[in-house]
Amino acid sequence: MPEVAIIGAGQTPYGDFPLKGVKELFAEAYQEALASVDKGLDPNLIQALFLGSLSAGNGFQLGQLAPLLAGHVGLPDIPAVRVENACASGGFALLTAVQAIASGAYDLVMAAGVEKMRDVSSVQSKYWLGISGDTEYERLAGSTFAGIYAAMARRYMEEYGLKKEHLALVAVKNHRNGALNPKAQFRREITLETALKGVEVAYPFNIWDCCSTTDGAAVVIICNAKKAKDFTNRPVKIIGWGAGSDYLAIHDRDSLTSLKAVKNAAQTAYQMAGIKPQDIDFAEVHDCFTIAEILAYADLGFCQEGQAHRLLEEGVTSLEGRLPVNASGGLKAKGHPIGATGIGMACEIFHQLRGEAERKERQIRNGRTALSHNVGGSGGSATVFIYQREGE
Amino acid sequence: MGAHISVPMYQRSLPQRYRLVGLKCQKCGKINFPPKGTCKYCRASTEFIEVPLSGKGYVYTYTIIAGGGAPPEFTDQALIQGSYPVAIIQLEEGPRIMAQLVEVEREEIKIGLPVEAVFRRIYEEEGVIRYGYKFRPVVPPCKP
Repeated sequence: MPEVAIIGAGQTPYGDFPLKGVKELFAEAYQEALASVDKGLDPNLIQALFLGSLSAGNGFQLGQLAPLLAGHVGLPDIPAVRVENACASGGFALLTAVQAIASGAYDLVMAAGVEKMRDVSSVQSKYWLGISGDTEYERLAGSTFAGIYAAMARRYMEEYGLKKEHLALVAVKNHRNGALNPKAQFRREITLETALKGVEVAYPFNIWDCCSTTDGAAVVIICNAKKAKDFTNRPVKIIGWGAGSDYLAIHDRDSLTSLKAVKNAAQTAYQMAGIKPQDIDFAEVHDCFTIAEILAYADLGFCQEGQAHRLLEEGVTSLEGRLPVNASGGLKAKGHPIGATGIGMACEIFHQLRGEAERKERQIRNGRTALSHNVGGSGGSATVFIYQREGE
Repeated sequence: MGAHISVPMYQRSLPQRYRLVGLKCQKCGKINFPPKGTCKYCRASTEFIEVPLSGKGYVYTYTIIAGGGAPPEFTDQALIQGSYPVAIIQLEEGPRIMAQLVEVEREEIKIGLPVEAVFRRIYEEEGVIRYGYKFRPVVPPCKP
């Protein structure tokens, strides 16, 4: 099976961009990705586009978004398709692109993600964002995604003694990292006191436990690793990948303190890469709500189940810790333009592994192997990727 | 916001919403609720018989949806109540389901609280009031 390498990656800043639509956002990320290819890339070599997006902005373009965007950047002829799995749309777009290379069907393709969420009124966005769970049986109980994750957090508290302060520690850490990231939506630190005192959204969550709505796009260019040296001397290989699914409704699952889709995806990815969780130097994880990052630690094998909050207490996952998690600021502070999120994680890791973080304060030193984790909804689907640069 | 559970779609689930009708697998004997095409326990059988559930169970976990965070179709309820509790109920027959809690003070809600199903107004959409199950703490029988 051909090996897969990333040769270029770009993303827009994440945030609120009233003057840019999905076309402009996509074009900006695409141009940045092209420009990041060290030896240059003739766009005619791009053979296909796999685009992650949930709704392009409240579903204004229900069908054929990918061909629309490919045409906008001068690639009207290539096969282009939208890949959708709610918040994991980007991860599944990358998965499809990676498999397209690994299968030998293509030599060089583009995985992208885009979402335009700030155009949408809050009523519309509560409507749109609430219907990627089990609409009939979760939504009709009057619940929201925040409510679903909140119910998981409450169960975690019961089983493992998690405190509200631990949830707040995730928000504080990720806002601290976001403050250093020029592309983050929220670039200011918050104190533990602030994080504990926000307006309640869904007990035990307040507003600081929840990610925002965001405009943004991200693009990665991947190729058959054998050809990578034609484009750069510093490719980043994707050495393992995995995906999983689970019942959409959390009441259909055995455990509420672990996401089986993530566990299965991680196991597949580690096995393919031939490495263990201890070999990961840093990770970008899907912290749509603070509890989601806490669940991710054990599901990805960074600790035993129920021990995740200890890692936070000990600062293991802070920027200076042994295993930095969400150096970008994560979904919490960098932002969560749904379809772009999984691709944006790959961009962050590509640049971090090449020592190209925009500011040296946020550059992770000596990182060689990294992991990204992208979750659809409350765990109905998930992808995990493991990346490695060459050298020691 | 436009309808997302149309009247016909709601109608098809009335046995579940009005009478908590589950599907008992003819192979492994376990009860699926909500209904599944293939039994979620043995993953082998598609043969079921309908059995109404007792509606008895306990709170497995819960949240309190704040007024400002409620879905648009529950905004009226959130406005009146300020917030409302949503729980996952562990039913005595095995399945868990998500539903609102009623007739309960916020301070009373805890994991393990025994509850029973009640038939209540859920919300209104397309001009049609939708009814279904909610849960309340088990009321001790009245003493003469």
